[in-house]
Amino acid sequence: MKQFTYTITDALGIHARPAGLLVKKAAEFKSTVTVDNGVKKGDAKKIMSLMMMAVKQGHNVTFTIEGEDEDAAAAALEAFMKENL
Amino acid sequence: MGLFDIFKKKDNALVLGAHMKGKCVSIHEVPDPTFGEEILGKGIAVIPSDGHVYAPADGVISTVFPTGHAVGITTPDGAEILIHVGLDTVELNGAPFEIKVRAEQSVKKGDLLLVADLEKIKEAGKNTITPVVICNSDAYAKIEAFTDKEVVPGDDVMKLAK
Repeated sequence: MKQFTYTITDALGIHARPAGLLVKKAAEFKSTVTVDNGVKKGDAKKIMSLMMMAVKQGHNVTFTIEGEDEDAAAAALEAFMKENL
Repeated sequence: MGLFDIFKKKDNALVLGAHMKGKCVSIHEVPDPTFGEEILGKGIAVIPSDGHVYAPADGVISTVFPTGHAVGITTPDGAEILIHVGLDTVELNGAPFEIKVRAEQSVKKGDLLLVADLEKIKEAGKNTITPVVICNSDAYAKIEAFTDKEVVPGDDVMKLAK
């Protein structure tokens, strides 16, 4: 299991476009990817699940990645978050 | 087994109604790759002539964006429908949107979800084209779109079959 926490810097939070791109990225890996903002948990492979979390700027989100390719997935997702959110 | 049982063969298809009045077009015509390239899922879009937005199917409101520009509905059979009013309208911080529903509320097909001020959206330099996408498109074996026609709310625009 791999974990990392990221603080959202994007002024608009996780809205439709970044949610779609994040799902696309998470879907490249076999591992399960759970996102937790301390209030709600979401599945990073499901767009509606992510958007229901209503993650805003300044929120801390913790990613938990589990599976055979968890190392690569964690690295790719952390890079994605830094670049896009 | 009566004669009528033959006709009761279950058709699990879900037919979605148009969410707005206007011209219904292919999702590929939406000039934003998030929608046009189906990153959020398969769907259709309406180039609206009226800002009233209605529920395309029965369901529960799964999410209302704080800015009021997008609404998610989950139907009883699990279809995750996202209605996104205009493009890049998240940047308008809610000004042109009057939301009529709240998260976890049940809605019926045709219920009013929100009212958008199309003129304000245009004045802000944004496109008013309004896509409806099925976020869990992978859960369906076949998604048909009935596009390239003028629609009024409730007209058949999509058919989802498992």
